[in-house]
Amino acid sequence: MDSQYENELRTLQMRFIGKIIAGFTHEIKNYIAIINESNGLIGDMMKLGKSPENELPVYLDIIHSIEDYIEKTTGHFRYLNRFAHRMDAPLSSFHINESLEELIALINRFANQKRISFKQGYDNDMPPVYSNPSLLQLIIFTFVEKNIMELEQDSTITMQTAVADKSVLITIIPNGKRVEGSSAPIPTELLDIIIKELGGNISQDRGKNTVIMLPLTSSSMSQAT
Amino acid sequence: MAHTKVLLVDDEKEFASALAERLQLRNYDVKSASNALEALGIVHSFLPDVVLLDLKIPGMDGIETLKAIKKFDSTIEVIMLTGHGDVRSVEDGMKSGAFEYIMKPVDIGELTLKINRASQKKQTS
Amino acid sequence: MKQKISNLLRDIFHPREIFRVLGKDRYASLKIRIVLLDVLLSMIPLFIVITISYFWFQKILKDDFHKQLNWEIQNTKQTIEFFVDERLSVLRFITSSYTYEQLSDQKFLTETFARFKKEFGGLVDFGIIDSSGIQRSYTGPYNLAGKDYSKQEWFQEVIIRSYYVSDAFTGYRKIPHFAVAIKREVPEKGTFWILRATINIDTLQKYVNTVNLRSNDDIFIINQEGILQTPSKFHGDVLEKYTAHVTIPRQEILIQELQTSGDDCKICGFATIKHSPWILVTVIRSTPYARIPSIFRNELFFITMGSILLGLIFTIVMANTVVNRIKLSDQDREKAVGQSEHASKMASIGRLAAGVAHEINNPLAIINEKAGLMKDILEVSGNMPDNKDKFLSLISGIAESVNRCRTITHRLLGFSRRMEISQDAIDMNDAIQEVIGFLEKEILYRNIRLELNLQENLPKVITDKGQVQQVFLNIINNAIDALKKNGLINVTTYAKDDKFIGIAIKDNGSGIPKENLKHIFEPFYSTKEKGEGTGLGLSISYGIVQKLGGTILVESEINKGTTFFVELPLKSEGD
Repeated sequence: MDSQYENELRTLQMRFIGKIIAGFTHEIKNYIAIINESNGLIGDMMKLGKSPENELPVYLDIIHSIEDYIEKTTGHFRYLNRFAHRMDAPLSSFHINESLEELIALINRFANQKRISFKQGYDNDMPPVYSNPSLLQLIIFTFVEKNIMELEQDSTITMQTAVADKSVLITIIPNGKRVEGSSAPIPTELLDIIIKELGGNISQDRGKNTVIMLPLTSSSMSQAT
Repeated sequence: MAHTKVLLVDDEKEFASALAERLQLRNYDVKSASNALEALGIVHSFLPDVVLLDLKIPGMDGIETLKAIKKFDSTIEVIMLTGHGDVRSVEDGMKSGAFEYIMKPVDIGELTLKINRASQKKQTS
Repeated sequence: MKQKISNLLRDIFHPREIFRVLGKDRYASLKIRIVLLDVLLSMIPLFIVITISYFWFQKILKDDFHKQLNWEIQNTKQTIEFFVDERLSVLRFITSSYTYEQLSDQKFLTETFARFKKEFGGLVDFGIIDSSGIQRSYTGPYNLAGKDYSKQEWFQEVIIRSYYVSDAFTGYRKIPHFAVAIKREVPEKGTFWILRATINIDTLQKYVNTVNLRSNDDIFIINQEGILQTPSKFHGDVLEKYTAHVTIPRQEILIQELQTSGDDCKICGFATIKHSPWILVTVIRSTPYARIPSIFRNELFFITMGSILLGLIFTIVMANTVVNRIKLSDQDREKAVGQSEHASKMASIGRLAAGVAHEINNPLAIINEKAGLMKDILEVSGNMPDNKDKFLSLISGIAESVNRCRTITHRLLGFSRRMEISQDAIDMNDAIQEVIGFLEKEILYRNIRLELNLQENLPKVITDKGQVQQVFLNIINNAIDALKKNGLINVTTYAKDDKFIGIAIKDNGSGIPKENLKHIFEPFYSTKEKGEGTGLGLSISYGIVQKLGGTILVESEINKGTTFFVELPLKSEGD
């Protein structure tokens, strides 16, 4: 890959990671805030003299919520951890469904702003793939972000995975009306170069579905990460 | 049946005290230690059935502490308390004789289950 | 094409634009410098050799010419000497062959004269003179019988030397002659007599004229007083005075180079003629060696030009090859550095994420346990009074841990901000004012005056605000350092053209000397004291501006101040 593209790719990667971490952080802050509020609420209730004997269910509810959000926070951090460690090596063996799951979880916040929800149609018999997981996530994110920006509120996006001949297919299916005249620009040339270097392919069909094909084993990849 | 004796070793005092109290409420006989030296001392005197061991305690290495406990009394079962990403340590711990591991934040139900199984194992050995 | 040429010329010759050239393409300027230096270095020995050869060759020719001239003069001199000696020998022969009595007889003298005249051209007269100086007999065109020569100088001389050769004098029909005389001793009688002959100068002239001369050259005979004995081409006729410089040679031949008032160098050869009062003078005006033959010059010229051209071509090719390799390897290195920087950035993300996740585990666990405990307490005993305080302490414990979580999470946010290279439409005026905001205290503290000429409605630039601000920060900091205390910093923004905006940061500090100006964008170049400043600021700024598609220039004058010009494209290429 020539140096101009390399620079572009690096910039794109940095922006992607920045967005993910920013989104993640805001989500966590959210969770922590809820925990804090719940905590404060118990305190307030006690100070207000609403004793637990009478209000037991309420108390338990609040505490349950705290425990819930602790779990959410922990889970979210696990996703971040996995996401971050995918960048450790340019090529590695990974599971497509897992990597999609964590990506979707991490970008949920963006989608939520427009109440766009994700549906998953994962093939559960996916073999592991030997390729560059973080670049794959980058590519998928780019298309998903574009769809999020172009779709109207309350739309859905379905993520589908399937096995094909010696490769896997990831399909991004937007479902909903498109906002009039919207067109979010994406660096198609660069993405094409990336996927080709991984031995794969990106295609779009009439229904605005995006299909990303990745071979089970990517042979080479120069230092693109 | 006698209450199962549990030694909780963790340097986070807030966490340890809360967890200890919760276990007390569930009828475990709990003592806490915040470092390896203290832990070993209590092992000698308290003779716990199960030790809940946080691997990143100050003083001796967590694994070293585990080995020391097993050396003192191999019937004492050790359950490792770990954060994420501690995979390597967990593996080492299992190889060094730990019974089980559990991740923080801890689900109290899961923990009591593991403690009971450990204690059962101890009784049968 | 024309536009390109005019642009290139403008770039090279307009003073301000020179730094644009240097800044924009260091490699081109390096190539130019290498070629110039190399050509200069190789031309110097070439010219030294040419000059030496030229003068050496000239000297050889000159020496050769002089030798040739010497030889010619020698020849002529000997010929004339022989002529003179021959005449003297004839007279001696006559005086030994005939007696005084015989020759005193007019008729006999005439007969003898007629016989000799036939053989020896140019004889004009004979005369026999007795020991008291009286001409006893005479044959010739003049009426000289009985003439008294006793008082004349030549008479004294012939008595002393036994022979005499005279200077030229006007004779019969205004034809110049010269006289020779021989003294014959008569030991039995204790007396002597003299045979005198007058000879036409023509004959002498004949010998002089045999010398092969170039058209500009002159050869003639003069006497000790400088009177011409034979006619000169340029200096007069017989018996006229030769006015130019004469050096009487101490040895027989003397060749002198004289600078005349004209441009030509005159070579004069002087040779004394033995047994005569004469000096042979050769005046050479045409010195062929003074003008190196044109062939040599033409050849030399073409060879020189050819060598220079060849050398130039070779140097250019070499410089081009070498600098291109350097450029490539620099690019490769930059690429590799970029890659490794990127790789390490990526690795650090992993570490940071892992680190944060790890750290946050504990406070999360604490919150979990405390909340769980609260739940337990509630479930086991709803007995409030005992537990109220307990609960409150658990609640505050949770709050503390929440704060810990917040702090830990905040680190992630800071990190994500640093990672995002924004490409937003930036109002440069705002960006600058923010930077100035940072430095306000410093500026005030040092009593520096700040002037802002920010163009209204400056077009927005799509670029990375953070990086651009970093550049401004660096430049303004440098300006502050240059001023130390008091002084003026002026920041001006302007729309350069429809593609670029410019930001000029000017200070009226001590300025940067010309020798340093070329280097200020180089990494690790710093004029500050050791320990103050790494010298990296400007080189990093240079790199940033380049990456953003802009240029950075500097102008400076000692004791007047320095101005930095940062020009940024409204849109980077590829957008």
